[in-house]
Amino acid sequence: MSRAGVYLIYGLAALALVAIGLFAGRFVLYLTMRVMLLAIFALGYNLLLGRTGLLSFGHGALYAAGAYGLGLFNLHVSHDPLLGLLVGVAFAALIALIIGFFCVRQTEIYFAMLTLAFGMMFFSLIWNLREVTGGDDGLIGISRAPLLGLPIGRDYQFYFLVLACFALAVWVIHRIRGSAFGLVLAGIRENHQRTSFAGIPVKNYRLAAFVVSGAFAGLAGSLATLLESNANPFSAHWSHSAEPVLVSLMGGLQTFSGPLVGSVIFVVLREVIERFTENWMLWFGVILLAIIMGLRGGVMGGLEKRLGRARAARPGGAS
Amino acid sequence: MAKKKMTRRDFFKAGLLTGAGACLGAGVLKPTGLWAAPAKVKGPVKIGYQAIMSGTLAGYGEFHKMGVDMAVDEINKKGGIAGAKVVVEYRDSTLKAPEAIKNARYFVDSWGADFLGGVDSSGQALALAPVMKQLGKPIIITHAATEKLNEIEVFQKGIKEVFRISSPTYQDGNAAAFVAKDLPAMKWATISPKYEYGYTCWSMFKNTLAKLKPGVQFVAESWAPFGTTDFRAHINTILDAKPDGLYSVEWAGELISMMKQAGQAGLFNKIKHVMLPVGAAMDVLEGLGKEMPDNIWISGRYFFQYPKDKRNTAWVASFVKRWKHYPAYVSETGYSSIYAFKQAVEAAGSKDAKKVIAALEGMKMQSPAGERVFRKQDHQAVYTVPWGLTAADPKYPFKVMGKMVVIPAQDFFNRPPFKGPESMPPFKK
Repeated sequence: MSRAGVYLIYGLAALALVAIGLFAGRFVLYLTMRVMLLAIFALGYNLLLGRTGLLSFGHGALYAAGAYGLGLFNLHVSHDPLLGLLVGVAFAALIALIIGFFCVRQTEIYFAMLTLAFGMMFFSLIWNLREVTGGDDGLIGISRAPLLGLPIGRDYQFYFLVLACFALAVWVIHRIRGSAFGLVLAGIRENHQRTSFAGIPVKNYRLAAFVVSGAFAGLAGSLATLLESNANPFSAHWSHSAEPVLVSLMGGLQTFSGPLVGSVIFVVLREVIERFTENWMLWFGVILLAIIMGLRGGVMGGLEKRLGRARAARPGGAS
Repeated sequence: MAKKKMTRRDFFKAGLLTGAGACLGAGVLKPTGLWAAPAKVKGPVKIGYQAIMSGTLAGYGEFHKMGVDMAVDEINKKGGIAGAKVVVEYRDSTLKAPEAIKNARYFVDSWGADFLGGVDSSGQALALAPVMKQLGKPIIITHAATEKLNEIEVFQKGIKEVFRISSPTYQDGNAAAFVAKDLPAMKWATISPKYEYGYTCWSMFKNTLAKLKPGVQFVAESWAPFGTTDFRAHINTILDAKPDGLYSVEWAGELISMMKQAGQAGLFNKIKHVMLPVGAAMDVLEGLGKEMPDNIWISGRYFFQYPKDKRNTAWVASFVKRWKHYPAYVSETGYSSIYAFKQAVEAAGSKDAKKVIAALEGMKMQSPAGERVFRKQDHQAVYTVPWGLTAADPKYPFKVMGKMVVIPAQDFFNRPPFKGPESMPPFKK
């Protein structure tokens, strides 16, 4: 697709999001926020999976680190949401640095298993440190104080904070992908030996990718904590870590917009299925399977291929 | 929702009515007793109900639905709630707090629910409390047991929208201690779930029993993580400590596993007094069948053999007839939650949230489990559930309660203001 076409689509999407914030009902507002939070989580995650080629099963822990970082700060230090978000993101990045330090020495299944193990360790820690984390009850009673004097207590107010963070995340991640750093990550994915022969410290780059994606997971987690007014231990569970994997696979690993589209499908599809049956898990699974098996490269990957083929078929259309 | 404009004709009618009312006097306008026809409420009364319907605990969701469906069918057959039909929609709550919140928001903001019900997990109930305040609709919790819900969220923080019809942890901790004080056991130990529910119940049991029976000792604790299937290590820890009594708030499938493995390890020959606060759940009794030993103390949030009155007997009979199952406690609490809303709406003469909340506060209702009163201060339903010793009965393919001990709920429910020892049992008469 042409560059102008892509900008047009992003522009329309941004317009639609603003319109939702201004005119939509409370539930649509809430669901859109959930989509954006999942998208931040998955976009950041895909820097690691799609870009660097590392499959992590521990990002739930980093999401939870953001959630509990903000939650504890909010309950014990200050209600300021901006400081809270910063603390949440910083804490997630710190945890990512620690976990990443041990994990990036390995690749493939070993890396996946190590992240899974660290993630579940973090989950147990949250579960068992009852005095600090509230155990399985989680942290409750987190409040949304005004942000720089602007009230965010109501959903239609808070929505614009989420939207701003989402837009910022999309822009930053897009820049990262296009930067020299992002290209090195892609190089590592394609052939890490060759990259290392080129004199690039592969482990450091992997660690950096891990921390950056962890910081975005933390951002999603801290925003979610403000949205739901509580932090819960299941957000650190491996089953939650699987969400960005599914979303990225569904949308398309190798595309920038894949996780975005995947997030929309993930949340909306489930919402639609639940209106027809309480047995939603079965149908949800069947449809996910169909998408992942049927569309190689995910929805966006498949779409790009389709568009590319159509363009190639047109005489002189190949670009 | 758009408010209907008052037309000139309506205005005229209102004027006429007021005039007529003034002439006839207040007694006629506000009929009481036999004269009180049920107030008419517009449109269907919509109740959004969520419970766990997926994963290993999905059976609980089914039990919830059996009770709720029965209440809805009965009510609609007899003309609905104040003339309006009741409609219930179910959603799977899973065990995760964000899912419960999403469901609640869907029910109120998208489906247009008037009231909410259900919820199994304590963490979810606590997370929902501030959301319900924001949504402004009442919820009746039918299973989640944490006392923090009524003591902190409702009483302390003043969240008026949350009510609970099922008994809280007082039944598991305090009531158990009242039963245990009369047993010839001085040394107690526990195998309990390694989460808030397990910790809370055990500490409540310890505190209350220590007050009731000075000199009692607590010799071992073994905490089983969520999803434990192999209890042998926990059982050995307990056996090593040689207690006289075992207290366990394990529940559902995990309790079944624990009981089977304890039987194999010969635990019941060595420890004579075993107390299972949620052992009287139907899934456990049916799941264990004959493998449940005799003379185990069990309780729950309701047990179908109590109270032995006409209302309960008839209800159990019709439940068994319809579902070929004995009612689980969540079936009863789910069923009664719908009737609680019915009674409150009819008392308020409206389904307006604020009026219904006001009607629910302090409301006394008759239900299969007996008389319930929603305490005004903390919105907790106060009602009595028996403790009993398991026994075989040829009428049932599972163990039921033989000897029953009934401790009135007023004697062991923590009391407002939930501060200091005066709020906790035992209370001075």
